[in-house]
Amino acid sequence: MSTYNMVKQEFIKKWITTLHMLDCSVEHPLNVTERKNAIKLSSDIAMAAARSGSTVWSRALISRSGNKTANKPVARRILKKARNRLKNRCLTLRRNGNFTAKSGVRKRTELLKSLVPGGELIKNKDYLIRETLDYIVYLRAQVDVMRTVAAVDSVTGNLTNDNK
Amino acid sequence: MLEGLVSQESLSLNSMDMSVLERLKWVQQQQQQLQQVVSQSSNNSPELLHQILQFHGSNNDELLQGSFSQFQMIGSGFGPNYNMGYGPQHEAMDGCISRTSSCQMEPVDTMEVLLKNGTKEDRPISLKNKRKQEVKTREEENTEKKIKVEADTESSMKGKSNMRNREASSETSKETLKGVSEIPKLDYIHVRARRGQATDRHSLAERARREKISKKMKYLQDIVPGCNKVTGKAGMLDEIINYVQCLQRQVEFLSMKLAVLNPDLELAVEDVSVKQAYFTNVVGSSKHSIMVDVPLFPLDHQGSLDLSAINPNQTTSIEAPSASWESQSQSLYNTSSLGFQY
Repeated sequence: MSTYNMVKQEFIKKWITTLHMLDCSVEHPLNVTERKNAIKLSSDIAMAAARSGSTVWSRALISRSGNKTANKPVARRILKKARNRLKNRCLTLRRNGNFTAKSGVRKRTELLKSLVPGGELIKNKDYLIRETLDYIVYLRAQVDVMRTVAAVDSVTGNLTNDNK
Repeated sequence: MLEGLVSQESLSLNSMDMSVLERLKWVQQQQQQLQQVVSQSSNNSPELLHQILQFHGSNNDELLQGSFSQFQMIGSGFGPNYNMGYGPQHEAMDGCISRTSSCQMEPVDTMEVLLKNGTKEDRPISLKNKRKQEVKTREEENTEKKIKVEADTESSMKGKSNMRNREASSETSKETLKGVSEIPKLDYIHVRARRGQATDRHSLAERARREKISKKMKYLQDIVPGCNKVTGKAGMLDEIINYVQCLQRQVEFLSMKLAVLNPDLELAVEDVSVKQAYFTNVVGSSKHSIMVDVPLFPLDHQGSLDLSAINPNQTTSIEAPSASWESQSQSLYNTSSLGFQY
């Protein structure tokens, strides 16, 4: 589990920095949904950056997130190398289009591919499962970190309220 | 004796077009020589190992050395006839002997050792594509003469399975002939087909692929909670999909929550060193008190719980943890940015 803690630490470091960067780039009176989107985006980028590199899902997530950030210099700063690598592959595979899967397993693998970022790119079922595994681990780390941060926030919020 | 072995092997290995008779003769000679080796083995095990390694040539050195370390179950499978030291060298040597012979050896009748399906590293697979790294490592681990290693019980080795071993040996002798013919092709990993299974190349590759997938599914079972009860690929995929969807929904919800709690996009935890301390100390304690335990699914319930009752839960449970938790959170608050305002 120590590696899991390391994953979480890595994630939170990157999350803080990306959130800062996004914060600097956007004008400040943000409503809740905008804030939420910024937080989610930064956490996704941080998660993918924490994994950094050899997994398809991390690169796909980075390229997907890159499209979402309106601010290009921010995206470029955060994402750097990994983004370009997968760009072309993403484009080429979207051309394949949809095809309906009939059997149960086939249908579910299609669904899984749609869930896992970059899943459509993976043709080999074996590799897809490996990617999913990795993605799940990092997703769990993300959830855990966000939960603890939220908990700390609420705790400190309550404390300040009590102090007042 | 060993020089004789070496010469014999080299001759046989080099010639591609050996007739079946010649191969059989070679195999029998091997057996005879190796019986002698076995009888002397108790004294000479490390030297033998070295010699046999040399004997197999430079190509196989890595293969043998890699596979020797893996042959851990061989020692357990040997009956009392094999009363030699059960060190790793001995096991490796035995593995080597079993590899070089086509199984018939004294004192044990046949040294047919088959790998269990469950063991991941040792199972040799025949594949034509070397795409994955697993495949490559397995190549390195196995020799060209394929082996299936199975841990057998002592009693069965001794008594009942004599007939079975003989049958198996006949089968395997035929297979070793196939193996001999494929020796020069170093690209392939060789698999010994079990009785009653097709030895067709395509089906072997298919089987290998299916086994890989099932192995991965087993990994997933460990990670995804609740996967143990479900059998079959479709069910497990269902669970996995459900889990991934739930985790993603949780991320959505938590990011919304953080957005609500932080009016200006600054998180309370800023100082990295504090954070690290926070993680090592607090995560363990907080998991019991504040965080709903992640492995305890169903997530749907959890999600709804979060939505409705999380604040009351936290306020009530905060009293439970020790004072250290509060002091830590206080320190966090103190070190956090000034942007944290209410």
